[in-house]
Amino acid sequence: MAIVSNDPVLRIVDVCKDYNSDGAPVRALDGVSLEVLKGEFVSLVGRSGCGKSTLLHLAGAMDFPTSGEVWLHNALTSSLDDAGLTRLRREQVGFVFQSFQLLPTLNVAENVELPLLLAGKTRVRDAALEALKEVEIEEYAARMPYQLSGGQMQRVAIARALVHKPSVVLADEPTGNLDTATGDVIFALLQRVAASGRVAVVMATHNAEAANLTDRVIRMRDGRIESVEHPAPAA
Amino acid sequence: MPYLAIFYRLILRPLRNEPVRALLTALAVGLGVSVVLAIEMAGEAAAGSFQSSLEALAGKADLEVTATGGVPAEALAALATAPYNLEIRPRMEDYAAVVGTGHTVAVIGIDVLADSAGREASAEVKSVGGPESVWVGPELGKKAGDRLELVIADRVRTFTVGGVLPKEAGDAVVMDLSAAARAFDRASGKLDRILIRTPSEDRDWESVVRGLLPGGLTVSRFGARTTENRRMLEAFRWNLRVLSYIALIVGAFLIYNTISVSVVRRRPEIGILRALGATRSAVVGAFLCEAVCFGLAGAVIGVALGQVLARSAVGLVAVTVQSLYVTSRPSEISLSFFAVAFAFVLAVGVAVLSALAPSLEAAQVAPTGAMARGSREHGVRVRSLRQLGIAAVLGGMAWIASQQPPIGGKPLFGYAAALLMIAAGAFAIPSLVSVACNRGARFLGRIFGVEALLAARSLAGSLRRTSVLVGALTTAIAMTAAVGIMVGSFRETVLLWMDDRLQADLYMRPAGPISPDRHPTMAADTGDKLRALPEVEAVDEFRAYAISYNGKPVMLGGSTARIVASRARRAFLSGADPREVFNTLSSTPDTAIVSEPFSNKHGTRTGDTITLDLGGAPRKLRVLDVYHDYSSERGYIIVDRKMTLLKYLPDPAVSSIAVYLKDGVALEDGRRAVQSALAGRKVMTFSNRSLRAEAIRTFDRTFAITYALEGVAVVVAIMGIAGALLALVIDRRREFAVLRFLGGARTQVRRLVMLEAGIIGLLANAAGLALGVLLSLLLIYVINKQSFGWTIQFHWPVAVLLGALTIVYVATVLCAIFPARVAANLQPIEVLNEE
Repeated sequence: MAIVSNDPVLRIVDVCKDYNSDGAPVRALDGVSLEVLKGEFVSLVGRSGCGKSTLLHLAGAMDFPTSGEVWLHNALTSSLDDAGLTRLRREQVGFVFQSFQLLPTLNVAENVELPLLLAGKTRVRDAALEALKEVEIEEYAARMPYQLSGGQMQRVAIARALVHKPSVVLADEPTGNLDTATGDVIFALLQRVAASGRVAVVMATHNAEAANLTDRVIRMRDGRIESVEHPAPAA
Repeated sequence: MPYLAIFYRLILRPLRNEPVRALLTALAVGLGVSVVLAIEMAGEAAAGSFQSSLEALAGKADLEVTATGGVPAEALAALATAPYNLEIRPRMEDYAAVVGTGHTVAVIGIDVLADSAGREASAEVKSVGGPESVWVGPELGKKAGDRLELVIADRVRTFTVGGVLPKEAGDAVVMDLSAAARAFDRASGKLDRILIRTPSEDRDWESVVRGLLPGGLTVSRFGARTTENRRMLEAFRWNLRVLSYIALIVGAFLIYNTISVSVVRRRPEIGILRALGATRSAVVGAFLCEAVCFGLAGAVIGVALGQVLARSAVGLVAVTVQSLYVTSRPSEISLSFFAVAFAFVLAVGVAVLSALAPSLEAAQVAPTGAMARGSREHGVRVRSLRQLGIAAVLGGMAWIASQQPPIGGKPLFGYAAALLMIAAGAFAIPSLVSVACNRGARFLGRIFGVEALLAARSLAGSLRRTSVLVGALTTAIAMTAAVGIMVGSFRETVLLWMDDRLQADLYMRPAGPISPDRHPTMAADTGDKLRALPEVEAVDEFRAYAISYNGKPVMLGGSTARIVASRARRAFLSGADPREVFNTLSSTPDTAIVSEPFSNKHGTRTGDTITLDLGGAPRKLRVLDVYHDYSSERGYIIVDRKMTLLKYLPDPAVSSIAVYLKDGVALEDGRRAVQSALAGRKVMTFSNRSLRAEAIRTFDRTFAITYALEGVAVVVAIMGIAGALLALVIDRRREFAVLRFLGGARTQVRRLVMLEAGIIGLLANAAGLALGVLLSLLLIYVINKQSFGWTIQFHWPVAVLLGALTIVYVATVLCAIFPARVAANLQPIEVLNEE
């Protein structure tokens, strides 16, 4: 059973995002509003190009909206400069990517330590090992990324996203590069992370089956929220 | 044609997307080629024309008659009365300085009636009249009737220009023999040489002419002296040439790197092409063609830049040639078809050779596609151990090569040893980088933060590329350090040698131009005038002759050994007491001491006997000892002036004089006394200190071009680093984007790239210094010794090394500023969306 707090860790209010494509503006998000609570597992579904990734990037303080507001852990992202956004990101956000994005020159533990080191923290090995233990892969701490399978790499990526104890984990197609069985394991892992109540998880996915197992499914189309569903809890 | 289209689309078109990097690679090759071309052209212009003033006016000749101390007039009479139709042209030759400009010109005395050059102008000169009429080359800018004042030896002479010679005379001054005899102060009428044109009849004219002449004269093929000088200059030009190739070797590293990057980036494309039916040879061909493109671009840049550099270098080369070898006047820099072809062959050849290994590797890519970088680099790491073994073998071969004697007077094995050593260094670099970066990463991380950890890890992770960059910079730094140590050691050795050698208070020589092959003289009574001064304790008169020994130019000097003996500190190779050696020299006729370069060039040792044609007959001289000397690369034979030299060559004029002042006489008082005693004569007086300063100035000028060449090699390496760092940033943009997603700030990304450059610079400096010390030993104890014959004591030029290494390091880090900015300004979302 998920432990969901009443405080939204992420609040998106009537957000629009325009991009320029060959000189012409293209609206990637159009009036999107959303609140995510701590401990909640939210999935974003929709076709490619519907705005899922853009929403994740705005939620993760990687970019500013063209209009509207993004509140992350009570901070309005548009009120921050680049350094402020970076600080907010390194403290409150964990990213999980479709293609893992582990640095090939660092071993598993070092990859996991990275967010802490970038934040200027020292003595980070214990925290990294704890994060690896949480995703049940601590015995691979000394291995290099190329020595791991896809599923193992994604576990490391999740450990890296959790190691600095963020408020929200943003996962962009985290199972997209994995076979079904491994994808299920990763999905279960994210579910468990959210269920711990320490962090909210927002996941963009094409996998409708997996999405139906989250607390809330947000269907997007052409940059807008088409529907919000609350699937029945699994038996 | 289809292949051309594929080549354009897959190889050339991507280059357009990275114009800065492509340009830097072409520039690196171009700069390397330009330096080689510049040194070749400047060397040819500076050294190749040294005979121009004297020889251009010589006309056609078959033989020449010369003698140490001059050819007596009887020889001319003997030839003139011989029953053969010999065309005889007697000549007196010297150099003079034009009063006012100080410009050095050749002065040639000819027989107006006999000499063809004279015949052409005789009508004019007769019309002007006057015994001191001269003809001048057009470059002097004089016209008939102008006055011309020349400093010849220790006198100023005034002439009237009778006419202007054709263009090929340059700036030479030509006069009648009788006028030349007066101008050169040769009452004896001795000639410098007689040029002979023999009849067309097929005979051994050399023997015939020799038979006509009295003994002690040398008959040789015309131009033999020029050939001797050219041969002597060859060692100098060879060394310059070899140094000029260093920049090209560094450029080769960078081509290798560029093509390697190209191959790594296009592995998936190569895999697809192979799957679509491309053969291995087509893949190799595509990458070699890419290298050819860089080579062609480099050649174009090299030819254009080479001419500019040659114009700057010719002055420096000419100064060295004039200071150390022969009087010369650089000719115009000319870009021949051969030079252009050479530049293209060189640039394309180096580019193709450098690209061969990565191109062959590209052909090994399986059609199924590319492997991940991690596993490839792991392979490189495993190979680095094997490469360490290869480095050890190459190092061993370098040591063996360094122990071999020269071939034809050239230290070819020495050069081979240097190349082998550089190759050994290149093979050892991957291990060094791997160990240093992997072991040092955590340490650096603790000191400089996570950026340093990432930088070190990333460099170790891209071992192949990092190794090439470090290797290129290491080679440039090593050569700079080696040359710095060699020149610094040489300089220190010369300074110490001068302490021993220059014991007198004042030194004098004629004000007229001198050079290693010309020794103008002062009047014979100069020494006596000085000895008579109450301030003077002793006078050492020295006479020098440029002679030929065993077909090589050498110097014969006559010194007042008795004076030297009482003050001698000259170091002999045998370790003998110099006072004893000089006492024997001053008291025993037909004895000599020889300089180390002479000893090494002619294989002459203590106790040997050398035979010289002196005073009309061969004279045997016993070698008492060999002394350290750095004043002439030709090598000196020193005899006692009175006991031996004047006995055979009874010309009392002196080339230079060393004056020892009495104790208590102030230097300035002594100088005033000496100058007033020689009032009216054009004599230059140097104090001990100013002579040393002048010698060191000449030394520094001589080696300026050496430093310049190494500087270019370093610039090429740094340009390569800048280009490669840019490539590194472009290749790793995904990593930088991920760092930004994980909370990395722009400043951290910028710092990371700067730190990578810093680590590359640090590793290259450390490896370069180590390799440089080894190379300097090779330069000092093998290459220099075999090329020039002198022993150099090893010294650490700490300030020069520290300065050079710091400059290189700072430049390396600075060249990361632009790539760092590019990395920091990458848009992480866009970068990850590209994936």
